[in-house]
Amino acid sequence: MSKILIIDDDEELCELVSEYLTVEGFEISCVNDGEAGLAAALEGGYDMAILDVMLPKMNGFDVLRNLRRESRLPVIMLTARGDDMERIIGLEIGADDYLPKPFNPRELAARLRAILRRADTANAETADTEKLDVDGIQISAASRTAIRDGEDVNLTSVEFELLSELLREAGKIVRKEDLSETVLERKLSPFDRSLDMHISNLRKKLGQRSDGGDRIKTVRSVGYIYTLV
Amino acid sequence: MKLFFKIFLWFLAAIGLMVGVVIFVTRTFQADPANSRFQRSTRTQMLIYSGTAAQIVAAEGEEGLRNFLTRLRDVEPPRRVDLIGTDGSAYFGSGEDLAGFQQLITRTRESKGAETDFTSEDRSLAAAPVSFPDGREFVLVLQWERTAPPSLFFGSWPANLRLIGLLFTGTLLCYILALYLTSPIRKLREATRKISAGDLGSRVATGVGKRRDELGDLAKDFDEMAERIESLITSQQRLTQDISHELRSPLARLNVALEIAKQKSAPETLPQLDRIETESHRLNEMISRILTLAKLESGAEEYDRRRIDLTELVRDIAADADFEAKGKDKVVEVAIAEKIAVTGSENLLRSAIENVLRNAVRYTADQTVVGVDLRSENGNAVIVVTDHGGGVSEDQLELLFRPFYRIGTDRTRKTGGSGLGLAIADRAIKAHKGSITATNYNGGLRVEIKLKADLPEQT
Repeated sequence: MSKILIIDDDEELCELVSEYLTVEGFEISCVNDGEAGLAAALEGGYDMAILDVMLPKMNGFDVLRNLRRESRLPVIMLTARGDDMERIIGLEIGADDYLPKPFNPRELAARLRAILRRADTANAETADTEKLDVDGIQISAASRTAIRDGEDVNLTSVEFELLSELLREAGKIVRKEDLSETVLERKLSPFDRSLDMHISNLRKKLGQRSDGGDRIKTVRSVGYIYTLV
Repeated sequence: MKLFFKIFLWFLAAIGLMVGVVIFVTRTFQADPANSRFQRSTRTQMLIYSGTAAQIVAAEGEEGLRNFLTRLRDVEPPRRVDLIGTDGSAYFGSGEDLAGFQQLITRTRESKGAETDFTSEDRSLAAAPVSFPDGREFVLVLQWERTAPPSLFFGSWPANLRLIGLLFTGTLLCYILALYLTSPIRKLREATRKISAGDLGSRVATGVGKRRDELGDLAKDFDEMAERIESLITSQQRLTQDISHELRSPLARLNVALEIAKQKSAPETLPQLDRIETESHRLNEMISRILTLAKLESGAEEYDRRRIDLTELVRDIAADADFEAKGKDKVVEVAIAEKIAVTGSENLLRSAIENVLRNAVRYTADQTVVGVDLRSENGNAVIVVTDHGGGVSEDQLELLFRPFYRIGTDRTRKTGGSGLGLAIADRAIKAHKGSITATNYNGGLRVEIKLKADLPEQT
């Protein structure tokens, strides 16, 4: 059973989410403020954390920032709906995914499973020895690390998966629908911008080529392509 | 600045006019000797002289008279003194050049009083009759050099300097006065502009200083008014945001509770639970739109402005809208004339165009086309969205962009809009200093968005 840590100051919501997710087969612990949340997350023993942005004592971003210094525990951020900045900041400092609040609990459960599955493949199946070396970027599926020009690029699990998919098909267009299904494990819906956001963060982290060109190009209303020189 | 020049010129004109009047008056009165007090006193003086002369002749004889006349002559500056007899000969004095005196002497004989003659530029004449005890009649004539009073403003150099100095001081004073009067007005105007542009914290008191006049009072009143407006608007905005924010927590709990209910419920209650879910989703959507609108209206939000490829953005949104429309047997057709870029926030522009387009898709009749048209026009990027939804009545076109405005019977709540889409589009476009207008067109609504286009990139 996967152990999930919920860090949210809304106690009633925590209770309800616990009840729902328990039925769905998760084991839940709740913490109601940022400091305690960070301490609990650092203590270990959890497979995943759900982190609210608005928290007493220490806000969600600071919790995540501190957590990321020591731990790669997968984190889903609960952001205020309609606040793009929160989403962007959250993904930039290392959240694996975000969910605007109020959220649909089915969606939450689905995303938890998707992220856990990725983390499992990373941890357990060391048999996955796939290594890619394209355009100065080496990624190793076993250690889930990406190295660009000898430097370690710190990617979230979603970004890592996206990069792997794109590198595998380097020079070819990868359709948005496929990326959404393989990486985010959900169908692409119109006006859904989360894939664009992950890609834009990935672009930032990879940086531009020495000639100033983007490594990942958008092919309008089709998908993305990892360009080869 | 216009007021500044008006005040400046008016004061300058007033000073100029005053100087003119002073010069005119002085000259006029100087040029009218008959009325001059100096001339009256000269005549009185002459009568005293002539009277004294007659008395001295009577009391002391002709020798005494000569002494008296000599004393009259030898003053500083010396005067010419003549005593002229009826035959025209000089009893006293040089008797030279008497021709010039003749007219005055004749006048004196006729009037039997003192007369003066100031007509000459360089000498003044005064005359009065003197009677000797023996019956002989004489006329006493005094002539003295006249030093004309220096002209006040014209002619000589010191006078010119005086005039220049006066004009300079006058101009300087007018300038300072105009500045003094208009600078608080200018500051008031700046503050008013800032407030109308959304900077509600703008005040004038510090700029206008501690003036204790009507302008100072006006500045104080203005600040009080601005204070009041600011607190009203911010409290209203805060209220909207707080309400929306606070509504989310119960909504989040409701969503989770609903899912739990679904886990445990019998199949026959599922449709109702689904309905609850739909409604909660709508509530949620509306709250996030209200929040977006509140943020846009406060104008306080800083946007990440950069160059955006509008062509691609419009294509992107249109593709999504087309996907959505196909499910309802409608089509979105895009016509893009050229590549256009604008500077702004991609998120805001995206939501503006998306709202307009989805609105059109929502209201257009089944099996009709929604047109999206992007072209450049006089340095503007123009996006035109047309639908075939019957349009709206003319008087309601303006009202479309008001939050929660709903149009009569044809566009009802059944269509599922939040009533905020166009309002958000309006505020987002205005935040980019663009314009958005709606008109009726061929049995549909035509919404036109105009944005300042970037110059084509030079490569």
